[in-house]
Amino acid sequence: MNAPANIRELRISELSIHSGATPIVRNISLSLRPGQPLTLLGESGSGKSLVAQAVMGTLPPELVASGTIRLDGADLIASSPEERRKRWGRAISLLPQEPWLALDPTMQVGPQVAEVHRFVGGQAAPRSNARARANLDDVGLGHAGALYPFQMSGGMCQRAAIAIAHAAGSGLLIADEPTKGLDADLRDSVVTRLKQEVEAGRLLLTITHDIAVARALGGMVGIMLEGQLVDIGPAELVLGAPSHPYSRALLDADPESWDQRAQAPSGDAVLAGRFLAKAFGSHVLFRDFDVEVRAGEIVAVTGPSGCGKTTVGNILLGLVKPDTGSVERRKNVSPLRFQKLYQDPPAAFPPHQTIRRGLRDLAKLHRLQWAMWRNCSRAFVSTRTCSTACRARFREASCSASRSCARCFSIRSSCLPTRLHPASTRSARRR
Amino acid sequence: MSTEIASPSLLRPSPVSVTRVIGAALLLALAAFAVLGPWLVQADPAKQDFSASLAPIGGEYLLGADHYGRSLLARLAHGARLSFGMAFLTMLTAAIPGVLLGLAAAWRGGWLEWTLELLANIVLALPGLMLVLLLLAFAPGNFGPLYFGLALTLWVEFYRITRTTTATILKQPHIEAAKLLGFGSGYILRSYVLPSIAPLIATLAAFAMATAIIAISTLSAISVGLQPPTPELGSMIVELLPYYAEAPVHVLLPPILIFLLVLGLQLIAQKDSR
Amino acid sequence: MRQFLLARLAQAGIVALVVGALCFALMRVLPGDAAMRIAAGRYGPDARIAEAADKVRLELGLDRAWPVQFLDWLASLVQFDLGHSLVTGAPVVDELKVQLGASVWLAAAAIMLSLLIGPTIGVFCGLKPNGWTDRLGLAGSVILRSLPPFVLGLILMLVFAIWLGWLPPAGFGTWRDLALPALTLALGLAAVSSRVTRDAIATVVKAPYFVFARHKGLPEAAVVWRHGLRNAAIPVVSYLGLQAIYLVEGVVVVESIFAYPGIGHALVHAIVERDIPMVQGTALAMGLIFVAVTAAVEAASAWLDPRLRRTQ
Repeated sequence: MNAPANIRELRISELSIHSGATPIVRNISLSLRPGQPLTLLGESGSGKSLVAQAVMGTLPPELVASGTIRLDGADLIASSPEERRKRWGRAISLLPQEPWLALDPTMQVGPQVAEVHRFVGGQAAPRSNARARANLDDVGLGHAGALYPFQMSGGMCQRAAIAIAHAAGSGLLIADEPTKGLDADLRDSVVTRLKQEVEAGRLLLTITHDIAVARALGGMVGIMLEGQLVDIGPAELVLGAPSHPYSRALLDADPESWDQRAQAPSGDAVLAGRFLAKAFGSHVLFRDFDVEVRAGEIVAVTGPSGCGKTTVGNILLGLVKPDTGSVERRKNVSPLRFQKLYQDPPAAFPPHQTIRRGLRDLAKLHRLQWAMWRNCSRAFVSTRTCSTACRARFREASCSASRSCARCFSIRSSCLPTRLHPASTRSARRR
Repeated sequence: MSTEIASPSLLRPSPVSVTRVIGAALLLALAAFAVLGPWLVQADPAKQDFSASLAPIGGEYLLGADHYGRSLLARLAHGARLSFGMAFLTMLTAAIPGVLLGLAAAWRGGWLEWTLELLANIVLALPGLMLVLLLLAFAPGNFGPLYFGLALTLWVEFYRITRTTTATILKQPHIEAAKLLGFGSGYILRSYVLPSIAPLIATLAAFAMATAIIAISTLSAISVGLQPPTPELGSMIVELLPYYAEAPVHVLLPPILIFLLVLGLQLIAQKDSR
Repeated sequence: MRQFLLARLAQAGIVALVVGALCFALMRVLPGDAAMRIAAGRYGPDARIAEAADKVRLELGLDRAWPVQFLDWLASLVQFDLGHSLVTGAPVVDELKVQLGASVWLAAAAIMLSLLIGPTIGVFCGLKPNGWTDRLGLAGSVILRSLPPFVLGLILMLVFAIWLGWLPPAGFGTWRDLALPALTLALGLAAVSSRVTRDAIATVVKAPYFVFARHKGLPEAAVVWRHGLRNAAIPVVSYLGLQAIYLVEGVVVVESIFAYPGIGHALVHAIVERDIPMVQGTALAMGLIFVAVTAAVEAASAWLDPRLRRTQ
């Protein structure tokens, strides 16, 4: 491993970012030292990525940063574009979001690491290749040098990106949503890897919306809301005993902190799958899978991606036929009473139809009274003008439509605000 | 790695752009010329008047006369009607079965899709113009094989785009959600599928008409399409070409008309620049 | 790789079948006696033509049932036994050899020229999307695409051959005769390939891997050379496959306009003269050129893009 360039401090003071006259990020002050990683936590749109871009010097031209960002004395905001570019790789490395998109799809991974030694370090080709192999070995990819990105898993791509950061030997590592799109297992291994970077003496600035990542990394945690740093301090303090109301709300929304509900299954099964088996081609997802859902019961199926949990759901709903086994539903229950909430709520709405129109058609189909529905949908005219969160609410609305309209009022009250607050996420998930 | 979401650009209607408006205006004007022209001009496009051979523009003949003394305005109007009308007819003949078969293949799959794919591959094995040429060999200079050959090559594009787009749409969560909510196939087709594919079909229709106009004039120009004295724009160019020295503007009139027709179609089919 | 070869072989088979079947049908629907026509083509129309026709009828088995004759027809097609021209009496294969050479030269020159013009303009447009170069490029492309190839050819002929007198308007033999037809085809091809290149460049410049290459600290030249060009070339090359259609159709048209003695010219002549063995021979040759160009483009795409090389 190239020894990281020795950087003693990154200090941001009074950083503001404006778009025209509108401030998007206001008065951020923080500092980073070796051995003390800092994690910026916040929901999307809170401005946390802009802080990272300001450090890197990659803000879009229409945004203007003011204040100071000092990297061992050099002012990053005052630097010329050429000076900023000289720092990339050498002093500052950016771990890309979704590294499987950031690696060149047409080049083997080995050369993608080696070119850093070659063009940044100025080494000869054979020496660059040897060093690249060592970098890949460090992250457990010694065997993978000849693979193309499409032949590698998300976790492998993430490690390859870290190997590239090692190759340049920069002292400051910025990780922008390093766990986006990764499973829980992979997330933990990425966090472990990032902690090793801190131990090796690198400064680490992590941007995430994942509380678990912030907790695992330790060090300092800053919480951002609408462009402002509302809370900052040691991780144990900020995440253990939050002082700011927003921090508290954010932490409460984390599924880990939901209070456990005592389950009261009331007897007979509503839905059951017996001896289910499914294979796609030669890849067997599961065999002899039994599942039963009783009235009043919540059943969770968990597992890494690709294990077949979505397929189980689709089999129970009758959307996918199992290879063997059967699905039993309680007798005399309309098939309309088995519904699905989608992973990506906006995708569950047709892009060419307004929500109002969709709801009206639904009401007409099931001979429900439109007048009650209309109040629900009044605020939203088109799918596209509606935020992701409120579309999620509407998907719920149309689900319950096939049961009864009685829920409409309670849904209306929660669907009117256009932004979904963490608190309502909680109640939504627990319904 | 992450959940697959079909590219939204395919499924979203694009806003009205300036180029489209210009294209539409151009086409409207040309369509008016093609439809009303022959009726307003009244002159017979085949009537010869040797005393007026290559009569200049702006005299007794508004746009001059050709080497046989035939009114160029009348010939252009009839030529425009022929090109426009035939392209429109060919496009409809290709689009209607193409779209219907594409929908059927995406909806039903199985042997139907397999058969249609094979058929499409057979048509696509040869470049379209070659197939039209081979069919024209049966009856050179005739309208029938030209029309049939063009429709035969053009339906494939409608079929393919409809099939792949519909298949993508049918795999989307909102279709599944609609089925779970109890909506039937008719509603899904009407409210979800057709609005998504309609803009694509419109674009394809414009391109198909442009292709047909170019093909008809080209084949007539190389004397296997429609033959003189039919007032066809392509063969008019070739007929007038020997007189380019005496009457250069006369020679330029039919190609300008073809150019404007195709340009109008290209402009309304123009995708938005990114 | 094998799948890809099989698909192209199947396409070649379909081409032979379609061309063969259409020409067989053509032979049967034409008015008059087929044997008489063939005999006239072979031996010339003299007094003993009826006798010769009987001989031909026996030799070719023209008195047998038509499905048998059709299979026979296809069998000789597969063996490249294409018969004799009904007009000149020469074996079709001999005529094709000469014409094929001329057409391949034309097609090759057109592709080279279009690759010089199209992608170069496209790169300049793509580096500054929506800049004035881009708008100019777009306008040029739309205008060129709105001109039928034969009109474009006539315009070039008028300008360069007649007004300026730099190049001959028609003929064959030297590069000067090749220049105008090749330029006509190349401009038509470049009208599209410049836009494809422009889109490819504009997409690559925004792609995460291109941005990341900069963030790695690589100098700009290395970023463009190592991560830009190959990725941008992928859609451009694969689009060449679609352009093969334009190329083959264009060859027919342009050769006819410039009286260039290639296969396309021969095909149009054969159709006008209803010389069916020549129609079949030339159509088959053009169809196979089309398959060959498509296959070459696919091979080049696979070489550029490792994702296409994986076994499916």
